[in-house]
Amino acid sequence: MPCLIALIVFGIMGIFSASHRALAKEAFDCIFRRVTFRACNTGFQDKIKGKILSKIISRSTFLAKMVNKHYEILSWIFFVLMIGSTVYVLNGGYNFYVYGSCNGLNESGFCAFDPKGENNKTTAVGDSTCGITQNEIKNVTLNGVELSSFPTQNTGSEDTVVFIGCYACDYSRKAYPDIQRLVEKKQANYVFAHYPAKGDTTFLGNAGYAIRKIYGDDAFWKLNDYLFTADLDYILDKANLNAILASFNFDVKKVNELANSTETKNMMDMEIAELNKTNLYGTPTIFINGKSFVGPKPYRVYNSAINKFIFF
Amino acid sequence: MLNTHKIRADFNILSKKDGKIPMYLDSACMSLKPNSVVEAMNDYYFNFPACDRSLHKLGSTVTKKVKEARELVAKFINAKNLDEIIFTRNTTEGINLLANSFGLVKGDVVLVSDKEHNSNLVPWLLLRDRVGIVVKIISSNVNGTFNLDNFSKLISGVKLVSIVHTSNLDGVTNPAKEIIEIAHQNNALVCLDAAQSIPHRKIDVQDLDVDFLAFSGHKMFGPTGTGVFYGKSKLLEKLSPFLVGGDTVEFSTYDSYKMLPVPEKFEAGLQNYAGIIGLGEAVKYLSQFDFEDIVEHELKLNSYITTELKKISGINIIGPEDPKLRSGIVNFYIEGTDMHKFVIMLDEMANIEIRSGQHCVHSWFADKKIYNSARVSLYLYNTIEEAEAFITNLKKIIEIL
Repeated sequence: MPCLIALIVFGIMGIFSASHRALAKEAFDCIFRRVTFRACNTGFQDKIKGKILSKIISRSTFLAKMVNKHYEILSWIFFVLMIGSTVYVLNGGYNFYVYGSCNGLNESGFCAFDPKGENNKTTAVGDSTCGITQNEIKNVTLNGVELSSFPTQNTGSEDTVVFIGCYACDYSRKAYPDIQRLVEKKQANYVFAHYPAKGDTTFLGNAGYAIRKIYGDDAFWKLNDYLFTADLDYILDKANLNAILASFNFDVKKVNELANSTETKNMMDMEIAELNKTNLYGTPTIFINGKSFVGPKPYRVYNSAINKFIFF
Repeated sequence: MLNTHKIRADFNILSKKDGKIPMYLDSACMSLKPNSVVEAMNDYYFNFPACDRSLHKLGSTVTKKVKEARELVAKFINAKNLDEIIFTRNTTEGINLLANSFGLVKGDVVLVSDKEHNSNLVPWLLLRDRVGIVVKIISSNVNGTFNLDNFSKLISGVKLVSIVHTSNLDGVTNPAKEIIEIAHQNNALVCLDAAQSIPHRKIDVQDLDVDFLAFSGHKMFGPTGTGVFYGKSKLLEKLSPFLVGGDTVEFSTYDSYKMLPVPEKFEAGLQNYAGIIGLGEAVKYLSQFDFEDIVEHELKLNSYITTELKKISGINIIGPEDPKLRSGIVNFYIEGTDMHKFVIMLDEMANIEIRSGQHCVHSWFADKKIYNSARVSLYLYNTIEEAEAFITNLKKIIEIL
């Protein structure tokens, strides 16, 4: 039986190392002889045991004695551990591919493929700093949230993407182009919501509302694209707003009047209140067909979600 | 007295500056090669890699070097003339040459000992099955030494005695001279398997009056794939070669041929010239030492190892207790234990290289119902420090197994 274990173990290790490949071949030869009703005469088992014991004996005779005595059972324990860890690694790999995190969707534990946790970073809501936040993802939902007042594209599509982001949030800015690409490719029903999570971006949200109201959705989307791609310091400086509006040939005075009106303020407050019902804890928070993705995931994650490639 | 330190400098593997130097205790299987042997072989390949007996300069050089090697070997064993030296691949080929050329017929009796290497047992058993010769076995004494009484009882009517000189199983050297004398008195010829004896003790074929002698080059510092079969001239002339073709005939027509004289008629096909030249160099290298010094050195190491092994309970040494009777060999086993483990662990732990298994003496192990053994075999380049390291590490292994 240790030959079978060795074959599996060295077979896997052999993918990466030529010396282990040779051992795997030897283990296979041993098993092949057994299944063809011949004695395993390669001495393979003894060779492996000898190699292990010789390493241990130089450190502790007692330990070597124990390992020798319980070699078979230890082989099984390590085999089970190896299978377990292999499954764990495969699951981690799968999770990373479809969720952008080894630990599952929106889970921020350590992931070897994303050691800095970039795919889970958000700008915390109610906090002025960016960082990794650990919250109750299970509570983040679109249930009971009224989205009809938010800017929308491609209504009537069977897929829906809701992007809640903040103009000042690096992670929202990182995710934005991927969401745009996804929406364009899939022609999904797209809802955008600005949530001022970081710094003072309310004036930008207000301006956006005013543009939409005065010039319609197309004008809004152009401005929105600009705000997510232009230099952050520039757009956050209120003194530059008029120049920005002018660059789009908007009526600066008219836009400002509406943006600073009570109507806009009330509308914005109502939208924030609505967004808070999602229980979001950071931006960006993206919903794809109702499933929440917190933090800037790789494009493939959004694509997998919309393609319904997620099995678990 | 041997200067081991100086000797070790002659071997690249024992004097290299980088990497681990092996503690090589497996010389009964294969000796290490001095640099001079490797250089002699390289000299052939680099400078005159041609055929023997070609008339051009390179060919002449090969002819000259092969002749020199034959002279060195002849002198080394004190053969009467060069024609008595036939180059082979190894001892096994030498014995097979005899078995297939001697002309044994149904009913002829061949006598062998009960500790023969497969190379001096299987050829005769094969002849028994093919032509119906009778193979008789001489039982050794309980301690593994040769039993002359048993031999004397069996010798009558025997055509050929083919016997190991020094056993690779336990290192016991058989009393060749007495055996040959008794055999000759009974009109039997004698072939000695000298594979294990020739690297360690002086062999004088004329003094022994041995009829045939076979040995390998690789156990006496020579290259692998080299060996020598010696036979008395008048006997070799009577043998009918079993391997013929290129280089064995003077001429041939479509329906006839004329064989060359010995030794050519037994050296069929293109020879291993580099190996033969290397073998000559190995003989030259070995000849610089006094065999008494080699025996003394090996006995010193063997005595130490034997004494220490005797202190370890459960260890059984194969052969006589007295190391004086076991040459440079210490072969041991532990009842019910697979000795391969020891070999693997010694190698992994301390780079100590010994051999385990049945050492090609399966017949003996089958008879004694012993699974296998671990064999330490010493030579002139081994040191007392190596012997100590072997014992120290062996004790550690025994403690855990």
